[in-house]
Amino acid sequence: MKNDAQIAEKFKDFKPSLNNRKNIILGMGMRGFEKLFSLKNKSILFLIGIVYLWTFAFYLLMGEDSYPCNTVSAELQTCTHLNFYGDLQYGGTRIFLVLIAAVASSGLIANDLTDKSIHLYLSRPISRIDYLIARIIPIFLLMLTITLLPNLSVFISQFSRSGLSMDFLNENMWTFSNLILQAIFYSISYSIIGITFSAAINRESLASAGFFGTVYGISLIVELFYQMMLIMEVDNAEFILLLSIIHLLDIISYKIFNVDYFVTIFGDPEIIEYSMILIVSLYIFLFSSLLVSVNYIVSRMEVTK
Amino acid sequence: MIEAKNVIKKYGQVTALDDFTVDIPKGKIGILGPNGAGKSTFVKIALGLIESTSGEITVLGENLDRNSIEIRKKIGYMPEHDCIPNKMTGVEFLIEMGQVSGLDYQTATQRTHEILGHLRMGEEKYRLIEEYSGGMRQKIKLAQGLVHGPELMFLDEPTSGLDPNARQEMLETINGLAEISNTNVLLSTHILQDVETVCDYVIIVNNGKLQIKENVKELIKRQTDTIQIRVGENSKKFLSILEQNNIKRKIEVNDRWIRVPYTNNDSFKEIISAAASANCQLYEMERVAVTMDNIYLEVVN
Repeated sequence: MKNDAQIAEKFKDFKPSLNNRKNIILGMGMRGFEKLFSLKNKSILFLIGIVYLWTFAFYLLMGEDSYPCNTVSAELQTCTHLNFYGDLQYGGTRIFLVLIAAVASSGLIANDLTDKSIHLYLSRPISRIDYLIARIIPIFLLMLTITLLPNLSVFISQFSRSGLSMDFLNENMWTFSNLILQAIFYSISYSIIGITFSAAINRESLASAGFFGTVYGISLIVELFYQMMLIMEVDNAEFILLLSIIHLLDIISYKIFNVDYFVTIFGDPEIIEYSMILIVSLYIFLFSSLLVSVNYIVSRMEVTK
Repeated sequence: MIEAKNVIKKYGQVTALDDFTVDIPKGKIGILGPNGAGKSTFVKIALGLIESTSGEITVLGENLDRNSIEIRKKIGYMPEHDCIPNKMTGVEFLIEMGQVSGLDYQTATQRTHEILGHLRMGEEKYRLIEEYSGGMRQKIKLAQGLVHGPELMFLDEPTSGLDPNARQEMLETINGLAEISNTNVLLSTHILQDVETVCDYVIIVNNGKLQIKENVKELIKRQTDTIQIRVGENSKKFLSILEQNNIKRKIEVNDRWIRVPYTNNDSFKEIISAAASANCQLYEMERVAVTMDNIYLEVVN
């Protein structure tokens, strides 16, 4: 009895010392990130394993001698850190990256919407934007894990091959900063797309299918149309490629490394040029629209129970 | 505790709150009203979940427009609908809610076990929520609102969907926990008995407007057993004779009827004798019990 009375007294006199918003958001994000590595998420762990094995096999064991870029012809260059994000047949891991992003991001908001626990999160001392940031953090960190870390390991391996030479570091200072920038760019882009699908389609499996289908499906359709337009000799046909998220991200990525962007048509590489302003404006417009849509979907959930 | 001034909330053409002004004192307060009266809208606005179209609200002394995040640190919320994740255990969910409220892991864990102890949840707290009964889910919903030790707890229809036993248990739990943890309660419901069981004060809302704000004890005092009479001419003389006979008890009069307190069957004889003395014709005389239900229905209708 005495023990019970003491517990009640402690309960009565509870004076909470609460964290600030920043720590709450960070905490939510980190817990979400940890959950993605839970043994329950076998498919995600399996795909992450493949990306690392792929990196190990194609970029560490069979790493090219010319680092970071290799001159193919007078005009064309291929770079290790650009190839990493490319198609499977060229040694890229893109399909795995998109799959991981689709599977891992699908439940982040969808689950809160399905079980309606979003109302409980939004009644806490965080704003709607804070909540969205907290939900983006896990997928962003996961994407960094499978983009930045493999690329860094390739850089470190090349540094090691150079005999830990300081000259290598001086020569590749920009490669180092560019590969970080490129990884952040891909990670944030896929995170925003993932969060959008998770909020718009509040069923986990449909959200991941929607993500993968939209990103990959549109890319294939756009490439098909581009080839048809080339056959029909339509002017400015290359602008149709901008309708595909994959191509848009690749174009910016090539700009980061200051390398000419090319697509392979009927086995032949073809350089395509776009103005920087157009590409950046399109990217900002597209991704800010996605964020605004997510914010709107969540705000509608607050009103309608 | 909560002060609302001329609050208006419109959803398109529909006005959910219409120039709503109220000063809600500390304690256990009930917001009573039929479905669609504007109770949940008021709770959501006071919580900062939705914005009012116009008007001003102060919660726990802080302006809602300027400090909604700070206010939410001091508030707990138990929504009406089912909103708890099935794939977590009760303990995991409460710890998560505690941490999202700003508690560190250790304190959130400690509070979770204390609250679940008060809610008499044993080993079942380690089971997945999807295996819980309706009553247990309600308990978890209540607990998540209390885990961070709020000063004020919003309860939106906490007994909805519960069987009579579970309902009674929930009301007792709310009463007990609010008392132990020194928490103010704002209970939004359409069930009068919930307010009678839990609250000190009641606010009746209808059509987005405040209809009545009264101490529940005072309201209960108004529950009387009366004889309702309709009379013809000479009603003034009849009334004065009645008042002489019922000098210590209140007689209610309006355009349609006179209500005289019922003591025993002699009350009927007294009324007939007063009517005869005043030469006043009695059209109708019946015994009417004025309960809280009647008061509520009178206000709402």
